Order: sequence, then structure tokens, then C-alpha cells
Amino acid sequence: MKRRQFIERALCATAGSALFGAFAGKLSIAHAATLAEPRLLGDDYRALVCVYLYGGNDAFNMLVPRSGTARTDYAAARGALALPAASLLALNPGTAPSDGSAYGFAPAMPQLAALFNRTTTPSPLAVVANVGPLLYPVTKAQYQAGSVPVPSQLFSHSDQSVTWQQPSADMLARRGWGGRLADMFHATNPNPNLSMNISVDGENVFQAGNEVVPYFVGQSGAESIPFVDDQPWNAARRAVFTALRDAPQGHALQRQYAAVMRRSMNNGAQINAALDGETPLATTFPDTHLGRQLAMVARLMHVRGPLQMQRQIFFVGLGGFDTHDNQLADQAEQLAELDGALAAFYAATVELGLDQAVTTFTASEFGRTTSINGDGTDHGWGSHHLVLGGAVNGRRIHGILPSLATEGPDDADWGQIIPTASVDQYAATLARWYGVPPGEMTTVFPNLGRFNGADLGFMAPS
Amino acid sequence: MFVILRRAMLLAFGLLACQAAMAGERLFDSGFDHRNEGPYSEGDASRFLTQATFGPTLAEIARLRSIGYNTWLSEQAAATPSLHRPYLENLAAQGSDIYQNHRHEAWWQRAMTAPDQLRQRVAFALSELLVVSDQGGGLEGQPIALANYYDILVNGAFGNYRQLLEQVTLSPVMGHYLSMFKNRKPDPAEGIRPDENYAREIMQLFSVGLERLNMDGTVITAGGQPVPTYTQDTIRGFAHVFTGWNWANCPNTDGGNWWEWEWCPSGPVDWPNAGWDAYWLQPMAPWQTYHASEGSKQLLDYPGVTLAGGVLAAGGTAQSDLQAALDNLFRHPNVAPFVARHLIKRLVSSNPSPAYVGRVAAAFANNGLGVRGDLGATVRAVLMDSEARTLPTLASNRGKLREPLLRLSQLWRALDARADDGRYREWWNGWLGQNPLSSPTVFNFFLPDYRPPGELSTLGLDAPEFQITTDTTVASVASGLGAKVYWAWRGNSGSSPEDILVDLAPGIALAADPARLVDRYDLLFMGRTMSPSMYTTLVTYLATLPNTASGRRERVQDTVWLIQSSPEYAIER
Repeated sequence: MKRRQFIERALCATAGSALFGAFAGKLSIAHAATLAEPRLLGDDYRALVCVYLYGGNDAFNMLVPRSGTARTDYAAARGALALPAASLLALNPGTAPSDGSAYGFAPAMPQLAALFNRTTTPSPLAVVANVGPLLYPVTKAQYQAGSVPVPSQLFSHSDQSVTWQQPSADMLARRGWGGRLADMFHATNPNPNLSMNISVDGENVFQAGNEVVPYFVGQSGAESIPFVDDQPWNAARRAVFTALRDAPQGHALQRQYAAVMRRSMNNGAQINAALDGETPLATTFPDTHLGRQLAMVARLMHVRGPLQMQRQIFFVGLGGFDTHDNQLADQAEQLAELDGALAAFYAATVELGLDQAVTTFTASEFGRTTSINGDGTDHGWGSHHLVLGGAVNGRRIHGILPSLATEGPDDADWGQIIPTASVDQYAATLARWYGVPPGEMTTVFPNLGRFNGADLGFMAPS
Repeated sequence: MFVILRRAMLLAFGLLACQAAMAGERLFDSGFDHRNEGPYSEGDASRFLTQATFGPTLAEIARLRSIGYNTWLSEQAAATPSLHRPYLENLAAQGSDIYQNHRHEAWWQRAMTAPDQLRQRVAFALSELLVVSDQGGGLEGQPIALANYYDILVNGAFGNYRQLLEQVTLSPVMGHYLSMFKNRKPDPAEGIRPDENYAREIMQLFSVGLERLNMDGTVITAGGQPVPTYTQDTIRGFAHVFTGWNWANCPNTDGGNWWEWEWCPSGPVDWPNAGWDAYWLQPMAPWQTYHASEGSKQLLDYPGVTLAGGVLAAGGTAQSDLQAALDNLFRHPNVAPFVARHLIKRLVSSNPSPAYVGRVAAAFANNGLGVRGDLGATVRAVLMDSEARTLPTLASNRGKLREPLLRLSQLWRALDARADDGRYREWWNGWLGQNPLSSPTVFNFFLPDYRPPGELSTLGLDAPEFQITTDTTVASVASGLGAKVYWAWRGNSGSSPEDILVDLAPGIALAADPARLVDRYDLLFMGRTMSPSMYTTLVTYLATLPNTASGRRERVQDTVWLIQSSPEYAIER
């Protein structure tokens, strides 16, 4: 895309106005016709895949200290919930982590540990330490004195899950940074009709843009309505159905319903036609909730040619991380599902020749308290995250590992760990790789300049 | 007025045959001696029953017309509660293993046939406020306990909200779902402090919400920012209050050991003898040894708070602290607009005016006899408000998207769906994306203030139900409803005795006359609010289908399904 055109996109992306809401459909088609320059597929595909861990993953029991002070602090804080050092899957980072301690993955994650430690070819897996929503960098003293603003309603599921997915933690509209990227990039796709943002796990904030509305697909493809399929025996009924659907509606909610139905039917037909012609992938996925979702993402990437997609952003999700009780057993199951599904998905991107073009990352509303309530943990703040793909600077724990000491320097109070990197920085690092030029970065992430180091360095050059 | 409009249109389209029939319906319409409170038309009666029941039927429309709203509401208030747990126990007594499917079946049986429709409908609305779910908390294996929890809501639908909050709080089902069960006092040696889960969610989701509200539900601001209702200190205060509760049949004497707390014996009766799991059905009981009695507790602080500064003094028992904390919550000014807004959104409209919220909140705050929290009075205020009883204009954007479960219940009640043995084995309805007490999280199936991107966000319109109306479910719900109409009808040769079948015969009897047919289902599904253009489109199309036995059946099926999958129907006004 030419720079001038890119700036137009960026402006477009910031104009969350009634004008854009009302004319979004027309605009995207008009832009596609006049601005997009169809290019050869295969040499310029790029996709982000957000793996959302609902409920607040306890990443302090996912990436765990094995020795030294970090281990002592962890064991003291976590008490009966501390994973024994001997049970951990040792990680061998190429560069020592910020605190110099030895770390391991939870025992439920053997495949991801192997990907992290891989040295035969560059490792595709990295950890980004202690990310969370912030308005400004904040110290414990500042937090406790209330002298530096922090996001409103910290530690609430509904609120922190929104702030995690937004381009800034104080944004009022329910828009995600994935949506903002799509506002910028969607005209790159030769196909103007299918949304570049596809969710296999329903509604989410991350993919909602000002202009681009995400498309939701099922785990086994797009849902169709047999009574009005485009078949000769349905023709008359289909005509009436379509007339009622597309009639002018006087009520805004009626228009919304009609729009969803129209989009569902048009996109569903395209997607199912493309999937019908697909040669199956050799990679097998675990038959789990997350495995089935990521299998669908891989299949959609496989048919990016027929669908004429060059830039895509996907969303998948896994629930059950709100481990207030029974944490040791429950989280192990969740992490095992994550392990199997992510490993299979990475293998599929290799099979598709897209491992350099696809980056998968985790998100979750918060980490959990280092303190415990008996057999579980409560809502925290900062948390570690996983980034996976051929363009990731793997075999590293990026960022600054916090102290897990009870009442230590990073303990906001009662075990909620103050983030040492903001979601803005985490997202901006991914966005830079995705192709947002440096000059446009603050257009998407308005608070980015407040943080020291806009790029956390876990991605290869764009 | 639509009837007259329609007649003009029908004349224009040359479909004269229907005239006599329409005139007959108008006579029928005006044949009753109306009570002055209404409903004044069949359409009004149908609209009311759509808000107050699981779907209008012709018989109930006629009855409501004859007795009027007030008598109908009084009857509903007096009707014996139809409980869900006994339905399951009856199945179990017949030798059936009981799963969550059976609990859903019980729900359908009550939704379809219970005389206490308003109570059932309000209980469903409460189940989307005081949320527990078979999807979490290890509750999947406890269908009878969940049905018992639902019965708390059925019994309490017209009771007092303070009492309901207490029953919900002490239910072992809620105890498991939000981990207050066996929540214990701080143990510094073990590094343990109380679980915050229930403390947080009872405030955020069940009573006061995150921000201070005016009585009309608008947010109170200071310096341009919303005023938070509570802080982390408040959450900790309530977390300490909600400690020391265990099974009712534990030996809750002081001097118990930690292993007795963790491993309470299941009771005097051992599995698999009947009654072995009875403790799931009793309120949790306090165990003082594990209650955080020491230390004062910061509770909610608000204008008019009884406890000075909202601080509960140290030294209380598990029981006395719980009572004080629930009183502190219940008397918070937010509770009235918070509950009022929820009930309005579930029964009437996603975007009520602040004045409407204020009127309902006032009824919650004082039922007229000086009692706060009377849900019966609150429900009545929701339904009898002029904003509920007047058909809103299209341009007002008032009303709501119908929930998937309510779309199916409306279809089945309108078409008298039954299986031969009277059971409702609606067990595999993943296509709906919704089942009672089965939401993915405590945040219900959708957030009350959800707004999809696009026009609705621009206009500032809440549309909670759109959160589960994705490209996938918009199609699967339409397909699923279609399957019920096109395939599962009484007399279809492929059906089995267990299938729930709709009765198309009353429609088929009208189907020679497309205008009467459309009018019948416009009444049952849309309270006669169908636009003239939609009406004309349907009537014109139906006339092209053959007037033969199979053609008349197809006319009925197409009428019902095309209405149910249309944007005009999807949005209930």
C-alpha cells in the first residue's frame, strides 16, 4: 500500500463517527475498487491470531521460577498451590531473563516447552513477562498513594477484559486494536465482501473496528439456512425471505438484525464454497474446544486464495481460567488443552508454508493474585503471555519479570502484581510486525508514548 | 387501524375474499365489555402476554381481554408456584437417571404448560441476574440441585429481594459456583486469605453494580468521571464476611479439625441410598471456627448508610456478619434502579427512558406500604407502566431483540406443541445458543449494556441480546425454528411419539384465505404490529402456493417461519 493511501486508512480508522457507521459498507467497497492493488497471493500474506483465555489465566503458575530468590518468593506466596520445582518443564532461554532466574513451564505444557527450547531451527515461541492494562507506568508507592491514574475498575472481569482488548485502557468506545488494524488494512484484500476479521469464538471487543465488523464462523464452517439455500426448490421462499430481510426498516435494532442476517448468508456462502474445495491438511488437531477452533482457522488460511484474503486477524477463545478454587486440577486441564491446540496450530502453519506469516498470541483479562485463598487464587493484574510463530524472537522471556514476593515491590496489595509492560506495548509490538509504520503507531495506540520502549522486541523486523 | 389499512390494501390487490372474515374478527374484537384498564384490543393483549408469559395463545388472549390486566395480574400473583425440582424427582422415582437435559425438560414443561406463567417468566429473568450455570463450578453433575436453585427464584419471583439475596447467597449451588462454599478466615501460617469471588460478584452483578446510580438509572459523576460504588477494600471486607459456611450436615461445632472442614462427611445417609445428596438442597450452615470474626470489615459506604462509614465492627458471628452485610447491600440506593433496569430489559425494552426506570425503581424502593424490595410490586410497575403498555414507534427504537429461548417458546405455545406423552425432551438445542441456567459465565449470556459496533453504537443504543446473535447463531436459530415448523409437525409420517410436534391444523383451517392466515400469526407472534408492506408481501406470496391439502400446510409453515425469521419479528416492540 502506498503511504498516502495508508494515511487515508489511518484517518479512516480514527473517525468513529456516525458518518462512518452509516456508510461503512459503501466505503469499504468503494475503497476496494479504487485503492486496493490486488497482488499475487502467497508472497504477502500476514495474519494475527488472538487466543483469548477467559477468566484470567494464572500465568504465575504457567511460567514458574525453578530456583533462586524468585523460587523462594514464589513458594512462600503460593503455599499449597506452588508447583514443585522438580515437576516443572525446564526452559533454556537463549538470553537470560531479566531476573537471571531459572524458569519452567507447568507440567501440562510439554509441547510448548519443546517449541520454546528448540534449537535445531529458530524457536518460534517466546514468553512476554507481566503484561497488563496501564494508563501510565506506575510504581507500588504511586499506586498505593493514588498519585498516578490507573484504568478504572481494575480486577473486574467485564471491565478488564475490555481494556485488555482495546488500543488504550481509557478508550470509551467498545473497539479493539485488532479492529483498528483491520480498519487500516482491510482494503489490501482483493475481496471487499468478506471481513478480514474472523472470530471462531463469537463476539469479542478485540476485532471490533470503527469500519470493519468482524465475521463469526462456527467450528465446522459457516452456518447456512437450508430452507432458503440457493436451490431451485427454495427459489420462491428465498425471494420472500430476502425481500423481508432487505426491506427498509424503521427501527435501528431491526436494521441491525437484518444486517447480521445478510452478512451471515453472503459470507457463509463464500466460505463454505471455498472450504468445500479444500484439500484436507495433514496436520491433525486435538478434538478439543480450542483445537477445533484453531483447526478452522488453519482451514480458512488454507483457502485464503479462493477467498482472496491477504491480511487477516482471527480470534479464538478458551474459558475456565477463573480458578477461584480447585486451581491445581482445573488449570492443568486448561493448560493441557492450550498446549495441544497451539502446538498443532503451529505445525499447520508450517505445513501451509505460513509459519513466518502468522503470529499467534495469548490474551486474558488479568493474571491472578500471588496470594491464595486456600485452593484457588483471585483476580490479579499483570500476567505473562505466549507469542508463537516463525517471526517471533523465540526461546526468550521478554520484558521484566516481577518480584512475586508477598508485599514485595511489585505487589500492589494482597498479591495483585503491577504490570511491568502495558498492553499498549504488547499490542504495538505485534502491530509493528503486522505492518503499521512507526509514524502511524500512535494513531492506533494513543497512549503508547507514555511508556518507555514502544517495542518490546519479541518480534522480528517487519 | 391496521385492520382497516389492510382491508384497503387487500382491495387494491384484488383479494376480496377475505373481507367478510376480517369483518367477523372485528366484531369478535369488540364483543367484550372492556375493563377500563384494558387491554383494548387483541393486539394489545398479545403484546402484554409476550412480555409477561412464554408466549401468547388465542385462549389466553381471549381470557385476558375478558378479565383485564388487573385481574389477570392478581390471578398470577395468587397462582401456586409450579416448581422444577419435583418434576425431576418424579422422573427419578420412575427410575430415570437425571441429567441436566432433564432439568431443561422441566423448564420447557413449565414454560409450555404452567398456569403461573408470569411467575415462571420472572424467575427466568431473575436467572439471568442471579446467575449460576451448569457450565461451571462443578455443577454439571447436580441437575436436581440446580432445579432447586431455580425454585428459589420461582418461589421468590414476587417476594422480597432482600430475602432472595439471602437464599441465593446461602444456596450450596451458588456457594460452589462463586466459591463461597468453604471459604475460610485468613490463615497467615498457610498464607491463606479469604476468597474474593462472591464478594465481588454479589456487588457488581447482583445488587449495586460498579458505579453510583441516580434513581432513574443514570450514572452519578464527579469531575466528569463516574463515581465508583466500592473499592478493593470493600471487596476484602465482604470477602471476610462471607467466610465460615459449609454443608448443612457438617458437624459444625467448634474444635473441629481442618480435615473435617475440608472433608465433611456427606451425611447420615450414604450413597447410593435415597437422600444421600440432600445437603445440596439445604442452605449452607455457619461454622464459627472458620469465620473471620476478628477485625472490622469495610462494607459499602453511601448516603444514609446505617453502619457508620460502612464499617462493620469486629466480633460478629458468621450469621450476624452475613445479615449485616446483606442489609448493607440491600439498602444501598443503587439496588432499586439496578434491579428495575434488569427487569425492564428482560421483559420489555433494552432502552427504557430514565423516567421509566425511575418509576419502577420507586416501586422497588417503596411498594406503597413502606416496604423496600417487593418484587411483585416491581414487576407490576414494569408491566403496567405506560412505556410498556403503549406500542412504541419504530423511530423511538424502543423494544428489544427476542432471546432465542423465548422465540422457540413463543412458537411452541402459539402452535400448541406437544409430544404424545406430554414430555418436552428438548435436549439437544445447541443451535439456540441458550439454555436456562447454562450461561458460559456469571456474566450471563450477554452484558446488559452490550452494543454491537456500527449504527447501534453510534446511536448509543443498548442491545444485549445481539451479543449472542452472531453470523453463526442468526442462521442456526432461523434453521432450528424452521426445522420445528417444516419437519416436526403433528401428522408428519416420520415423527416418533417422543417428538415435540407443532399443531398446524388450526392454521390449515384458515389457509385457503392467506389474509386471515397472516393476520392470525401476526396476532400471535407480533401483537398485530406487522407493517403493511410485510403483510402484503406475505399475502401475495402465499396466494401463489396451491390451495391444496399440502399447499395449505405449506402456506402455514411458510407464514410462521417467514415471520419468525424476519427483522420485524426479531425485534419485539
